[in-house]
Amino acid sequence: MSGLVLDGVSAAYRDTTVLHEVRLTVSRGELLVVLGPSGAGKSTVLRVVAGLEPVTAGRVHIAGRDVTEARPGRRNVSMVFQSYALFPHLTVVENIAFGLEVRDTPRGEARQRARAAAETVGCAGLLDRRPGQLSGGERQRVALARALVREPDVFLLDEPLSNLDLALRAEMRAELRALHDRIGATMVHVTHDQTEALVLADRIAVLRDGRVEQVGTPDEIWRTPASTFVARFVGSPAMNLLPADGPLRPGGEAPTLPDEPLEIGFRPEAVILDAAEGTPATVDRVEVIGEDAYAYLTLSAGQPVVARVPAVRRPERGATVRLDVRWADTHLFHVASGRRCDP
Amino acid sequence: MLTPYLVGLLVLVLLPALVTLGMAFTDYDLLRPPSWAGLDNFTALVDDPIFRVALLNSVVFALVAVPLRVLLALGLALLLHRRAPGVGTARTVALLPTAVPEIAYGLLWLWLFNPLYGPINQLLRVGGEHGLTALGRTPPQWLTDPTSARAGIILMSLFTVGETFVVLLAARRALPRDVYEMAAVEDATGWDVFRRITLPLMAPVLALLAVRDAVASLHFTFVPAFVVTDGGPPPYATTYLSLFVYQTGFEYLRYGYAAAATLVMMLLTLAAVLVQWRLIRRYRRFYQL
Repeated sequence: MSGLVLDGVSAAYRDTTVLHEVRLTVSRGELLVVLGPSGAGKSTVLRVVAGLEPVTAGRVHIAGRDVTEARPGRRNVSMVFQSYALFPHLTVVENIAFGLEVRDTPRGEARQRARAAAETVGCAGLLDRRPGQLSGGERQRVALARALVREPDVFLLDEPLSNLDLALRAEMRAELRALHDRIGATMVHVTHDQTEALVLADRIAVLRDGRVEQVGTPDEIWRTPASTFVARFVGSPAMNLLPADGPLRPGGEAPTLPDEPLEIGFRPEAVILDAAEGTPATVDRVEVIGEDAYAYLTLSAGQPVVARVPAVRRPERGATVRLDVRWADTHLFHVASGRRCDP
Repeated sequence: MLTPYLVGLLVLVLLPALVTLGMAFTDYDLLRPPSWAGLDNFTALVDDPIFRVALLNSVVFALVAVPLRVLLALGLALLLHRRAPGVGTARTVALLPTAVPEIAYGLLWLWLFNPLYGPINQLLRVGGEHGLTALGRTPPQWLTDPTSARAGIILMSLFTVGETFVVLLAARRALPRDVYEMAAVEDATGWDVFRRITLPLMAPVLALLAVRDAVASLHFTFVPAFVVTDGGPPPYATTYLSLFVYQTGFEYLRYGYAAAATLVMMLLTLAAVLVQWRLIRRYRRFYQL
């Protein structure tokens, strides 16, 4: 039984198509992260599911029901907005109970359930405050509690962590994952932060220009990126891409390559510096981040390559190094389509 | 840069206010020099039946017209805050009567209110016979019957809500969109959205506008009462404080007495401003988002 199905959904803003026949299936109890750069249509996916944006083609199914024509309130979803969308004139408990009270749940029961939801996300101590008196992290918790209180079929989270500082974001990320495991709800979480996606997701859907580029587990996305776009978008610094017949020949057992233009990709951590036999390159600059150092190199043929090395063994700026990669650590992509090639 | 403004403030507002304050304690008729009268003017005001009627008229007008005006402007603002075909035109129409010069506006209503030929009563007589309405009743005699005349002045004021409308339109458009989307996802009805979201979020602005309107109502009753009803019909049905001051001063040449009445008006305004100030302080926390 699937929690949410998008069946060839297209959406448009004025004359611009922002989603192109998006197909996604989210199983019941699954946490799907929609990942993509800004402008890829991530938020539009959520808004289409919530019914805040109409579809121009395709169907939306929630918990086995076709809700394509249903108004937002009839879809039994709840949403956490990037801005949290808390009501500034209501106290925390009133904010959380809002969805219940407008659905004519008796006041006492609504407050009771609001209190329980607040306890689940750890904001039970804030019930009588107003949003203006809360910190960013506290508002985040209240918004989550408000989404939780109604036990919807699908939770939609629109970049809920993007307004938090780094430490708090990491903390809330872990809490969000724990919360999902505890309540076992179907969740769709939108973000542009790849770390967030890799840590949180059961599966990740990478979106590019309104099209689904790849859907897979974080492992699949990381180890077998379906296209150069996914390969370079996930991972920081981005994966190196070089022509396969170009200056760098990886070592080890070479696969049989099809006879067409290919690119090889390899992550900065796959680069071996100071190999006995390797391609010469000059070091343009070195960034040290704690234990790691990123060396930005230029091959003698002119292509840039980034390598991750332990900080203690970093090369000097301006030095000439020899670099190597193993075939086992590389990915192959068709030049024409940018899609993955598995020979 | 501020100099012209300061000069204007001094010459046109502060000096006249001080002169008025001084004159309120004198007898002055333009012919003889002012003579000290102490609190005589004020004790006379308390016993003056016309002043009492004027004060009552002004207060009743404010109590009835101000809530109606603010509600009407709110209704228009909520109706016209979205982008849709024809909305621009509708907004202009809502604003237009406010832009008509006051005297012209008054004369226009004099014609509209004409019991025999005026469009209002012609409209009311549609479907009726022998000059009666469709329900067989006599149409209102507007400016000759005291109650109808008061209602007429209030009716006139209901079409000049342009400024209030514009402020409320801006206030509504400044409310965050995602709060309304949130309400849609929670399946809140239109009434719930109005009652639980729009009204409380706009309450500070509404309260301010109501107080402002109450202060202004002391002034904008003057032209209609002066041009359209001349304070009548008897007994002083539409003599408001502003008209009372005008007549006492410029028609009966009792400047000291008029100044005392003006002072009472100013005290009323001051009270309203104090209420306004308290409201601002009270609602300020709403905006700590």
